[in-house]
Amino acid sequence: MSTPARTTPVDMQRASETSALRVQLIRDLAMVAIIAVISLAAGLVIDRFAKNPLPIIYKTPEQRFDAELTNLVATPPFKIAPAATIGLPEFRAALAGKHTLILDARPSLIYAQGHVPGALNLSRQDFARDYRRLAPTLKPATEKPIIVYCSGGDCHDSRMVANALLTLGYSNVSVFTGGWEVWSANKLPATTGNAP
Amino acid sequence: MIDRSAPRHDYPALAISVGIGILFVISGMAKIGDPGDFADNIFGFAILPPAFISPLALGLPPFEILCGLLMLAPRTRRVAALGLMLLSVIFFAALASALARGLTLDCGCFGVGAPSRQRMWLEAGLNVLLFAGTLIVYLRSLPKMRRLAPI
Repeated sequence: MSTPARTTPVDMQRASETSALRVQLIRDLAMVAIIAVISLAAGLVIDRFAKNPLPIIYKTPEQRFDAELTNLVATPPFKIAPAATIGLPEFRAALAGKHTLILDARPSLIYAQGHVPGALNLSRQDFARDYRRLAPTLKPATEKPIIVYCSGGDCHDSRMVANALLTLGYSNVSVFTGGWEVWSANKLPATTGNAP
Repeated sequence: MIDRSAPRHDYPALAISVGIGILFVISGMAKIGDPGDFADNIFGFAILPPAFISPLALGLPPFEILCGLLMLAPRTRRVAALGLMLLSVIFFAALASALARGLTLDCGCFGVGAPSRQRMWLEAGLNVLLFAGTLIVYLRSLPKMRRLAPI
């Protein structure tokens, strides 16, 4: 028959100390939680009066860039000079020279149905997405001649894209005003699909 | 029984507290001015969903400053040490996870800088030291247990 373990005063002391420490730790954690809440409140108040407040729902750098680009193409700044315009002969000459970057500002679905051979699709509709996709080609081309076209006629997409590019620092941007309408009416070569 | 009198002449704990406190006040001040950059740093870890990033980027710098200041006062040192201990564990876990996933980023733990693996390892090491320092301060700031004399 086993004898019941005796509880000594030292054991009682240890149990009491452990319990007191546990209570102390819980109290301290509660205090840390209070400091965290106060800090968050202080951070929100400081941000409210900040020059560039941080939105409560975080936007990734890509999302912010997209928003800036979309804003840029949707509301063109009028302080910059509008892009120069060219006709079909100049456009064909530039194309033959192979030193000019040709950009198609129409939506990708329309682009895929037929575009000027070698033209890259930088649509006004999806400007931010397309600009990021074409960044490896576009970013080194700030000094290079760039010609933008769209459907032609009353189409404004090419002007909007050209003005956005001018604002982004591209110095030699012009618009082929005749656009796809004039190009196809002259039965000039066309490429279909998503590739340039 | 708990002796609630705080230790008055614990110079090693005082020195560690002042060092860590000043470090966190400086670190918090560096981040509080540009929460956008700090939020981008937190996003770079690819751990938290976007909904948690802004509150953390806004709340963490004041928390560091507050705890850093509280480290300087004997009565509030223990709670501040616990807060900064938890913070160093969180920073270390985030850095270790990023290092394990092969990410190269700016931790943003002690101000904003250039992304570098070497700096990440250094900051992980610094967080281990901070954990040790805050643990020492916390344990030495605990109320002393008054042993009952054995009967």
